[in-house]
Amino acid sequence: MFAIGATLNMVLIPALNEEASIGALVGAAGAVTAAPVVVIDDGSTDDTAALARAAGATVLSLPLNLGAWGAIQTGLRYAAKSQWPLAVTLDADGQHEAESIDALTAPILAGEADVVIGACPGRLSLARRIAWHYLRWLGGISLDDITSGFRAYNRSAIEYLASSEATLLDYQDVGVLMLLRRRGFRTIEVAVPMQPRQYGSSRVFDSWWTVGSYMAQTTVLCLARLGSGRGWARRRHYRRGDSRCAS
Amino acid sequence: MTYQVTSLVLGLLIAGTILWLVRRDHLHGPFAFWWIGVAATVALLGSWPRMFDWIAVFLGIGYPPILAVVLGFGLLLVKMLTMDIERSRQERRVRRLAQRMALLEARQRALEDTLPLSPSEPADG
Repeated sequence: MFAIGATLNMVLIPALNEEASIGALVGAAGAVTAAPVVVIDDGSTDDTAALARAAGATVLSLPLNLGAWGAIQTGLRYAAKSQWPLAVTLDADGQHEAESIDALTAPILAGEADVVIGACPGRLSLARRIAWHYLRWLGGISLDDITSGFRAYNRSAIEYLASSEATLLDYQDVGVLMLLRRRGFRTIEVAVPMQPRQYGSSRVFDSWWTVGSYMAQTTVLCLARLGSGRGWARRRHYRRGDSRCAS
Repeated sequence: MTYQVTSLVLGLLIAGTILWLVRRDHLHGPFAFWWIGVAATVALLGSWPRMFDWIAVFLGIGYPPILAVVLGFGLLLVKMLTMDIERSRQERRVRRLAQRMALLEARQRALEDTLPLSPSEPADG
């Protein structure tokens, strides 16, 4: 039924109107894990939920649109409630390859990290690279790919991020990384291949207004938490593999 | 009619309106305290406007009426800030509730898939 060597990583896929890609993604994820594939439907108006369910996913349907992080946190609450040891989050737009899941979970299984981020900073436009550089500097974060939604969390990180302390965040990037840093979670990056987005549009970069609002909110968040654990974070955050995407 | 009486009547009207809103369940109790305080202050200062002159002199303010403006403005800002804090608290609760509802619905769906919905309607498989 499952691929040989399939591991017990619960796969969490937040989705908003992703009917074009969700079925294939659920199928691909199901082939590499023996654990449930969970699609969190963030108030889609198309057939995302039905197609995900037909492909074999457990679907959590949010009655309100909670945004990318709200949806991911719902999945993390589900994983925490079922006491799952590992959870991997994937974007529903087909950017992330399910085949790379094992590369993400390996450092956690080896006890080297609590959170692993699938990184591919080479995919970015110049404007995004400038924006990231600024946010990394402001937040004191030494990771390369701060917005990647391809992440693996161990049990303690799942439980912490499922708590109400992380509920008022709107995005999964800088705010989440700062929370993890404050609590001393070891976060590392692993270079993975990523595909260009094939359908739909980014939740952050779909208009200049959204980008401006994102930058302003994140700036306030960084300023409000300035210096919280900055010193030791540099020691704990480190990068694995190549800063370019793996081929 | 003097302006003191006008202020007193205004303060009492505001206080009465607020009490009526609480009584009709249009205003949640804890919020009413603030507005009752506002009404009492308006009534008090309306009745004894000289109070501002004394306080302003004590605080070293040269033009007493500006004290009322600054105080009013400051209290409005405090009120707005507390409203936003309360809104943030509610936002957190709404998000947690929405998430919990999604989890419970998934659990209910899983249960319905394994259990017959009614004695005469056995589940498939």
